[in-house]
Amino acid sequence: MTKQQSAWEKVANMLRARSLWMLYYCTGCGAIELPPTMTSRFDMERFGISPMATPRQADILLITGYLSTKTLRRVIYTYEQMQAPKYIVGFGSCTLNGGIYYDSYATINKLDLYIPVDLYLAGCMPRPEAIVSGFKKLMEKIDRGEADGWKRYQENYEWYKKNQLSALGEVYIHDEFHE
Amino acid sequence: MSSTNEVIFNEVSSLFEKVSFEKISDRKYAVSIEKRQVVSFLETLKRKGFSHMSLITCIDWIEEKEFEIVYTLFNWNTGTTLMVKTRTSREKPVVPTIMEIWPTAKFYERDIHEFFGVKFEGNPDLKPLILESWEEIPPMRKDFDPEKYSKEHFPDRAYEVDFLVKGSENDE
Repeated sequence: MTKQQSAWEKVANMLRARSLWMLYYCTGCGAIELPPTMTSRFDMERFGISPMATPRQADILLITGYLSTKTLRRVIYTYEQMQAPKYIVGFGSCTLNGGIYYDSYATINKLDLYIPVDLYLAGCMPRPEAIVSGFKKLMEKIDRGEADGWKRYQENYEWYKKNQLSALGEVYIHDEFHE
Repeated sequence: MSSTNEVIFNEVSSLFEKVSFEKISDRKYAVSIEKRQVVSFLETLKRKGFSHMSLITCIDWIEEKEFEIVYTLFNWNTGTTLMVKTRTSREKPVVPTIMEIWPTAKFYERDIHEFFGVKFEGNPDLKPLILESWEEIPPMRKDFDPEKYSKEHFPDRAYEVDFLVKGSENDE
């Protein structure tokens, strides 16, 4: 399903795929696989991927592990702060189907109901090899113009909002940092 | 001056009725106490050397229709852990607060109030600590069904089971 890209989009996607800044939202245990991926042994930076501290400058939002409803609110806030084009990578089986938290009262089971996921990395946990291979796949998808989660989010905003509200009640955050 | 566990336990036993310290291992003891005596009992233990309150937790004994509150204390002189247990009815669970003895107990009490619905009399601030916009019964009670809640609120991914022979997933 390759969409027709204009010449400008082709160039832009080629460049986008080669310089990805990643915001890793360490929601669960998956974060422990990232230090070896970033550092010298697997060296993620040779693909042009480097960690970024703030959502406003990041391209990839990496959701590492299970998401409780409380964290999902913050993830939605973070995602909406990011500037398009933005890509979401769901990391580990918890984001796919809830993982071992499938029957938890506080943990969502399916991440792509709430935010658009461009790539899933299956495993519990995926090893650094799997992460690197996943990022290569993501780069290819961006190059071909198939990683269009941010466009889907804009087009189907009502659908995403409806799912978010049915799971969370309200997306608005009431705590000491947001009031 | 530090006294041994035996000295502390004998002194405390002489002050309170029907209190017996049960030995679990060399440095681990347990004791049960009535709810109305729990504050003075913990205060006495604190003065005798069990000065560190590590944890307050709660157990739901649903068949006995009771909640058990467990205070875990630690003695830095002898390196001993002591579990002080007290019980309250499940219908109207009210326990006195121990905030006056250990101010940090406030947060454990908030936590237990949120997850078990046990009220701590005298704690001025029992608002939810961890959950957000929770409307069901407290989730750590044994009669709460987390799987049912999860099914209702968080849709599952539908799978096509094509990697198994048909019917084989039910065979043991």
